[in-house]
Amino acid sequence: MAHSHKPEKEKPVGPSSKLVSLVAQFDDPDSLVAACDRARREGYQKMDAYSPFPVHGIDDAIGIRRTRLPFFVLAIAFCGLAFALFLQYYVNSTDESPLFPGYKFFISGKPLGVPGVPANIPVTFEIIVLSSAFATFFGMWILNGLPRFANPLHRIPRFRRATNDRFFLVLEAEDEKFNESRSRQQLEEWGATAIEECHLDLTDHEIPKNFKMAGIVLLFALLLPPALIYRAAGMTNRNPRLHVVPDMDWQDKFKTQTVGPNFSNDELVPDYLFGDPSAMRHPVAGTIARGDATGQDEFHLGYKPGSEPAPAHGGPNANTQDPAVQDPAAQAAEPEWLTSFPGGVQVSEATIARGKQRFEIYCTPCHGFDGNGGGLTNQHAQALAVQGKANWTAVKSLHDPAVKSQAVGRIFDTITNGRATMGPYQNQIPAADRWAIVMYVKALQQTGIETTGATAEASSATEAPAGN
Amino acid sequence: MHERRPGKVTSPIVSLSTSYVKLVPFGLILAALGFGIGYLMSGGDFQRFSFSYLTVFCTALSTMLGCLFFVVSQHLTRAGWSATVRRIGEIYAMSVPLMLLLFLVILVPILLMNYSAVYGWVKDGWTGGSPNPSFQELKDTYLNKMWFGIRIVAYFSIWGLMAWSFFGTSLKQDTTGDKLLSRKMQKSATWKMIIFAATIVFASFDLEMSLAPRWFSTMFPVYFFAGGVMSAFALISLTSLLLQRSGRVTDEITTEHYHDLAKLTFAFVFFWGYIAFSQFLLIWYANLPEETFWYRYRMADLAGSGWKNWSLLLLFGHLFIPFLGLMARTVRRNKTYLLFANIYILVMHWVDHYWIIMPQLGTMKATDPETAPLALPFNPLIDIPMLVGITGIVITFFCVLAADRPLIALKDPRLEEALNYKNV
Repeated sequence: MAHSHKPEKEKPVGPSSKLVSLVAQFDDPDSLVAACDRARREGYQKMDAYSPFPVHGIDDAIGIRRTRLPFFVLAIAFCGLAFALFLQYYVNSTDESPLFPGYKFFISGKPLGVPGVPANIPVTFEIIVLSSAFATFFGMWILNGLPRFANPLHRIPRFRRATNDRFFLVLEAEDEKFNESRSRQQLEEWGATAIEECHLDLTDHEIPKNFKMAGIVLLFALLLPPALIYRAAGMTNRNPRLHVVPDMDWQDKFKTQTVGPNFSNDELVPDYLFGDPSAMRHPVAGTIARGDATGQDEFHLGYKPGSEPAPAHGGPNANTQDPAVQDPAAQAAEPEWLTSFPGGVQVSEATIARGKQRFEIYCTPCHGFDGNGGGLTNQHAQALAVQGKANWTAVKSLHDPAVKSQAVGRIFDTITNGRATMGPYQNQIPAADRWAIVMYVKALQQTGIETTGATAEASSATEAPAGN
Repeated sequence: MHERRPGKVTSPIVSLSTSYVKLVPFGLILAALGFGIGYLMSGGDFQRFSFSYLTVFCTALSTMLGCLFFVVSQHLTRAGWSATVRRIGEIYAMSVPLMLLLFLVILVPILLMNYSAVYGWVKDGWTGGSPNPSFQELKDTYLNKMWFGIRIVAYFSIWGLMAWSFFGTSLKQDTTGDKLLSRKMQKSATWKMIIFAATIVFASFDLEMSLAPRWFSTMFPVYFFAGGVMSAFALISLTSLLLQRSGRVTDEITTEHYHDLAKLTFAFVFFWGYIAFSQFLLIWYANLPEETFWYRYRMADLAGSGWKNWSLLLLFGHLFIPFLGLMARTVRRNKTYLLFANIYILVMHWVDHYWIIMPQLGTMKATDPETAPLALPFNPLIDIPMLVGITGIVITFFCVLAADRPLIALKDPRLEEALNYKNV
């Protein structure tokens, strides 16, 4: 301590602090590089240089090894690759994939697994880029020992000029070659214009009390959102939904198959290109859209073409929720339903099995597995209806004599176009599958489960064994 | 150890000097032998020869256009590091107009003899099998012999003028040392880059995409460009290595420049893969027969044609292997490794053009391309001599243009920066 370069500012020097490094100041980059070079030759390993700008050649002079970060990033990128491919395989898996059975849900007809990999590449690419970016950023933190709340170097006023116009070489006390008086002497030899000791304050390692208090308050505050969510889960609320972004909920835009949007502002109403505010152009006369060429034949209609009554009386294609259709006179006028399966439908166990599978996907939520009308939706809706919270027409049992006596074509038509509160399924289920479901329903009706009508009691009898 | 090197060329030899006189006949003999054997081995089948010839022609042309892009982009971005290797790029860019001579082998039969066995649309009344009668009319407005010839000559003239404006100005700077010339080249690089982009788009349509005139891809020019620039960096790096092995420009082109060229090759390897996949994915996903047939020939292995294996070769050999092989810093700075890597990249670039062009030979020969087997026509006795032949042409053009001119821009104002350049 008997040296001329004493700390300029008052500092807690004593047994309560520890010398961690010697900080030598240089006035120009060349002498810094030269000093680094000398220090490396002397065998110093734990040292670092600080300069306001990148100095060429300093890496070699200080003997810095190249960073291992790229290898770390590469490893993470490969993990990202594996994760992304697995994720997409997993969430897209169908009931036919060997490892992860799921829904049969082929996205736009693309196969799963290796043949479908092109569809997965964009997501994989993005995940690789994202994971690599994170690996680079946080890997850099880890390798640099960050985040760090304080560094004793910052307590040396002179060191601030490291971001301005001075250059510093820091020899750490942990280095094997470090010897305070000898190192100081060497630094002077190498042209240091000032040398300071850097001390680590050992007296005050406690976290301040108010920090602790703030931390505890914060922790409790973090419990609030889950508590509020838990409370809200069992509540009913008569207030309308909160619209945070109203112009996203109600947009001035054309929607498909509509006449035109209701523009909130008259100035926004555009000049219509075709003089007609329809959202879509009508198909060219005489053309058939793709997928609409499902001919008007028995297979797609369920009745003999030409036998349908006039549409004014509510034919099978009319909106069945229209009260007029419920009118017995209108219902009496029905087409000539098919009583046996049309050509193209093969009556076989395989078709019934297919029908069962489709039935269980599309029909069971309401009609139940045994067709008694005891599906989950019905149960919940019935319960709500009893409490007066919902209007619900009980789901019809498929074992109702009225249904059992129906021709296959009639059941097919019900699935296709819906009946009463049941919606149409022609867009969800292809015609062949609808026929398969009809076949399964007929098989189900043969099992002998007899119930009359759909009542709450009937719908609760879901434990009845479902045979086929 | 940290003194700056002055911006002076210190190598004992900085030009090809006398050796170009010896190398030109060597290149010409190589070209004559290669193309001659290729023609003989194809058994006088001019169609087969033409397809193989077009493949090597497009491989070389796209690479040279990549060099032209390199020169323009370096001026445009006022790049300092590349001042030592830019002259090599300029010489290759200057070879582009000479390539028109080679294209005459394809162009003259089309114009004079109505030769339609390469470009099917040359045939009168050609419909491409389209049931739509207006299809031919639509095609005829763009794809007709005269307009095709005019366009080809226009492309090469524009590229020639562009290449000469950089090469000539740079040579002038060698003697005068006028720094304003660099400023001038930078300014003109702005609009020249736009013209370059416009011409390469239509040139790639005409030269390669019109071989399958019913197939459309607006991504194709970018694909053509990406592959060309990738192999251009490999070619410049390879040329530098060979020149240094012969004792030329040894002091100027340093490991740092090889490192940078390899970085750019690496970048364009992946850019090529990105573009190739983008083009493929849209067509694969939309799954429209009028677009997918092009990939079907190449990937579905129709009747065991073998094209599927070629596609896999492209996927692994042109993307995955060079991507991993050029990733590490140490290998980018290893000159022995780079020598092989660059040759490999150039061969893969040929594989790429072979994959674009040669399947069309099968569709031309087949009476019904939908069902006829389109066997992979690869025949090492034809295609490898053709590759040797184009190598001879590239050597010849390089030597004639380099002659005894310096291989480095001697008084480039950024030479000092380039000589002192260090990768961090």
